[in-house]
Amino acid sequence: MANQNEKLMEIRDLCVTYKTRLGSVSAVDHVSFDIFKGEILGLVGESGCGKSTMGKALMRMIDPPGEISSGQIILEGEDIMGYTPDQMRDVRGRKISMIFQDPMTSLNPTQRVDEHIIEAIQVHEPKTTKENGLGRATSLIERLGIQQRRLNSYPHQLSGGMRQRVMIALGLVLNANLIVADEATTSLDVIVEAKLADQLREIRDEFGVALLAITHNIALVAELADRIAVMYAGHMAEIGPVEDVFDNPLHPYTQGLLSSVPNIKLDDTEELYKMAGEPPNLTHPPSGCRFHPRCPKAMPICSKLAPKFEEVTPGRQVQCWLYQDHPQKETPAIKVTA
Amino acid sequence: MEQDNQNNQTSANSVPEWMLDLDRVGFVRKLFISRKWYGGDWWFVAISAVLLLFIILVGVFPQWFAPYDPKAEVGPSLLAPRELPPGYSLIAPKSAGELKLEDAVARGSTLGFVYGSPASQALREITTQMNNEAQEQGSKTRYQPRLSRFETVEEGLEAVLSGKINGFIASPAELGESLEKYPDLAIAIDLRGEAAKGFLMGTNQIGQDVFSRIIWGTRIALIVGLSSAIVSFLIGVPLGLISGFVGGPFDRVLTLLMDSLYSFPGLILAISIAAVLGAGIGNIIVAIAALYIPTYFRIVRGQTLQVKEELYVEAARSLGATPLKILVKYIFPNVIPSVVIIFSVNVGDAILTEAGLSFLGFGLPPDTPDWGIDLARGQDYLRRAWWLITYPGLMVTTVTLAFSMLGESLSEILNPRLAEL
Amino acid sequence: MSSSLRRFLITRLLLTIPMVLILITVIFFVMRVLPGDPIRSQLGPRVSEEQADRLRERLGLNRPLHIQYVTFVKDMFTLNFGTALTQGERPIKDELAEKMPATMELTIPAMTITALIGILSGSYAAKNRKKPVDYAIRLISIIFYSIPVFFLGLIFQILFSVRIPIFPLAGRMDTLMMTSFKSITNFYVIDAILTQNWPALGSVLLHLVMPSVTLGLVLSGVFVRLTRVNMIEMLKSDFITAGRARGLPEDRLVYKHALRNTFIPIMTLIGLEFAILLAGAVLTETTFSWPGMGRYLVERIQLRDYTAVQASIGVFAFFVAIITLVMDVLYAFIDPRIRY
Repeated sequence: MANQNEKLMEIRDLCVTYKTRLGSVSAVDHVSFDIFKGEILGLVGESGCGKSTMGKALMRMIDPPGEISSGQIILEGEDIMGYTPDQMRDVRGRKISMIFQDPMTSLNPTQRVDEHIIEAIQVHEPKTTKENGLGRATSLIERLGIQQRRLNSYPHQLSGGMRQRVMIALGLVLNANLIVADEATTSLDVIVEAKLADQLREIRDEFGVALLAITHNIALVAELADRIAVMYAGHMAEIGPVEDVFDNPLHPYTQGLLSSVPNIKLDDTEELYKMAGEPPNLTHPPSGCRFHPRCPKAMPICSKLAPKFEEVTPGRQVQCWLYQDHPQKETPAIKVTA
Repeated sequence: MEQDNQNNQTSANSVPEWMLDLDRVGFVRKLFISRKWYGGDWWFVAISAVLLLFIILVGVFPQWFAPYDPKAEVGPSLLAPRELPPGYSLIAPKSAGELKLEDAVARGSTLGFVYGSPASQALREITTQMNNEAQEQGSKTRYQPRLSRFETVEEGLEAVLSGKINGFIASPAELGESLEKYPDLAIAIDLRGEAAKGFLMGTNQIGQDVFSRIIWGTRIALIVGLSSAIVSFLIGVPLGLISGFVGGPFDRVLTLLMDSLYSFPGLILAISIAAVLGAGIGNIIVAIAALYIPTYFRIVRGQTLQVKEELYVEAARSLGATPLKILVKYIFPNVIPSVVIIFSVNVGDAILTEAGLSFLGFGLPPDTPDWGIDLARGQDYLRRAWWLITYPGLMVTTVTLAFSMLGESLSEILNPRLAEL
Repeated sequence: MSSSLRRFLITRLLLTIPMVLILITVIFFVMRVLPGDPIRSQLGPRVSEEQADRLRERLGLNRPLHIQYVTFVKDMFTLNFGTALTQGERPIKDELAEKMPATMELTIPAMTITALIGILSGSYAAKNRKKPVDYAIRLISIIFYSIPVFFLGLIFQILFSVRIPIFPLAGRMDTLMMTSFKSITNFYVIDAILTQNWPALGSVLLHLVMPSVTLGLVLSGVFVRLTRVNMIEMLKSDFITAGRARGLPEDRLVYKHALRNTFIPIMTLIGLEFAILLAGAVLTETTFSWPGMGRYLVERIQLRDYTAVQASIGVFAFFVAIITLVMDVLYAFIDPRIRY
């Protein structure tokens, strides 16, 4: 189970902007949260909410025309925003690693599996001999359920599930503390997805690795994660333990999101809940709280000022005026019990 | 911004109107906004567009820019750039005494010079100038000497001696040592020819002004380049569209044909066609056009195949759109950006090919002021007269460069995925 | 050899035949069907009609068109090229056997130069996309591509043969050495080494420099562009991003991973480049008086020797088809997706 008290990563006030022909897009806007050692954190939201950007930002892999415009990312006590490119290269793969959506295109078609793994080892630990590397690669892939003879294969010779396991192997080979899984199951069918989810949980249990699962599949998060973080339009709407959030969603967006998941128990007369409006254009986002144009519980203050991301109960944070007080606000804040 | 939000409560889209209507903003404004976004490529396009406009101007109105007639032998042979041609002297019998210019070129006088000598031009200019001056002054005097041509300088000098003509006009270069043999003749007057225009880039071996020739060469190059590109376009694009759209054995055969042609060295094909059809500008255009048809065909066909598979085309088809409508309304507009780029590079390449053909002697008729021809002729004078090849060569390079640069940078801007041609 | 590879090779080989056939047909079409009477233009107006007819008979030009075509194709494939119309009726086959190696000796170094400059500059430019160095490389490559190859040759001649006499002006070898030079393969470099004629080797190499550099530089313009575009696409791929996420250094990603993958499409591009190379060779050979196939072709066309012209173009077609075939086969061996 997750070690709730030891922080692995602290993200403080992170902003990511993309410069486009039509103006600056604020893809991630002043987001702060923590990732704890050994936990599985699910990051969910609609397409375009900024979750993928968030994942890439953690590894400082935002390419131009985008950039991390401000904020801190503190890993093991140091702010990696100040790291040189060489230091970052050391971080990538060794401290944080990433697995991707499509394993076929994420592997080099002209490189064999063993070459992939041994190269990753040798780049980070140059003194490793080829035999040593080969040995480590073999034991790792066998642990993940791939036969040793597959090491000589090229990616196109493997099945989809095997390729995904190779990807995971590359994520684990250097004993990273955090794996960022960017839509890792989106391209898989339901059965393979379930298998992969199980495997990820096993890996966490066995290796103590933290996992940031970025996905739009809420059901997967419910299954897999310890905590859930909900993003909307570049803001972090809500974060908290999975059961708590699912039982009692606080942010109106989370409420809408959870209500719109089709429930097998719905009978014919009940309609599927649809949230009003569309995600905003991030070149000129709505003022104040970015959700206010669509929020059924919006108040006058919501369009004027943006609420802070505050803890309302130990372990739960929400960014919503409903739970905060302000001189301009007429109604008092709602108190939340654990 | 506040106002917008209040009004657009249901639509969370708070982008200001003018940004949404970028298309309405105006072409010129859009061009300038794009500048920052496209960076260096924008400048490439801008510079090459300006350069091309200038080149086209020169090509359409060469007479504004060229000081001389490109085919006329206006200067001495192989004059270096900016070098002043030597003046012309009038040789008369010593016994004539002090000869005045007005008398020498007066009505009753007969003057001689060698066949094809620029002395005739110099004399003509002098008399014209003097006539104009006289007219301004209101004088009725007209200067129009009778002209007599001779095969050699000696014959001319003999004629002066024997009194047949009043004076003989030649340059010091032409005279050489000949004057020594006639102790009774001397240089009476020095005609400073109206060479005030100068020869900016020198003259070639038959005395034609290099600068004027390259100016007029622009017109030929542009005519050949643009015409052949248009012909290739008109044949290649429809074939590509139809072939890609229709598919089947027709498409396979045509593709095989085009691919084979495409992989064959273009110049050699052009040479063969030109050699068989013969010289002449129309034939050259046909020969060069044939080279580029496969390029248009391939790209257009490729794009057609791609667009054909798109969902919106399938949707249109399921709604009952006729094949022609799909072709015209959906596929063709998608093909246009690539075709424009190919066209630009095509013209540049066509000019290059035409220069090559002319260089080898398969191009235009030999008296055309064409860069390739000039380069071929200048080859023999490599050591003595570097300007004969340098300026025409630079012109070809510059014009091709302008077209290619335009095409290249447009391709970076419009469609970064245009992998290969 | 995997079955997919075998299938590919067989299909590819079979495809060569129709390709060559089509090219030969096009040549036939151009030579025989287009307007213009080659016999007339060769013999001139003063030759009587009977003599013209006799020549036509000899060349088989008075037979029906389809029979001519069949004979032509048969002749091409059996390498029966006939004899040159002028110049002492030397068998064309011998002439070509002499000129072909000359052209290859010119084009192979040129191609190497092009490939080296192209691949290295293109990759470097792609790696630094939209930075000044990228624009500089692109501009230089477009300039090289826009210079007519013969103009560049002439400029080189002025600069490095006339002004500063380093390299010889023209030809394959010092004429004085020709008498003592024995030629076996007609590849002068190989022959010089085989006969251990070291002074000749030096001369041959010196003569080789300017023409091959000229041709190589001009062609590199196109190649840089093609490499750059392919590399840019490649650098956007997922596996490159994945590699970066593993902490692989940028240089390794560009010059090892991306380049290895770009080689595959580039290989086919080299095959197509070859056509442009041969076209450039025609011009280069003329400029430097290089006794190769290109100059031979031009010469024969000027002399209206159509038998020789047909044969030469036919050989060019074969050459191109073979090179494309070789390139495609190499491609199949390099790309693991086809090999396994």
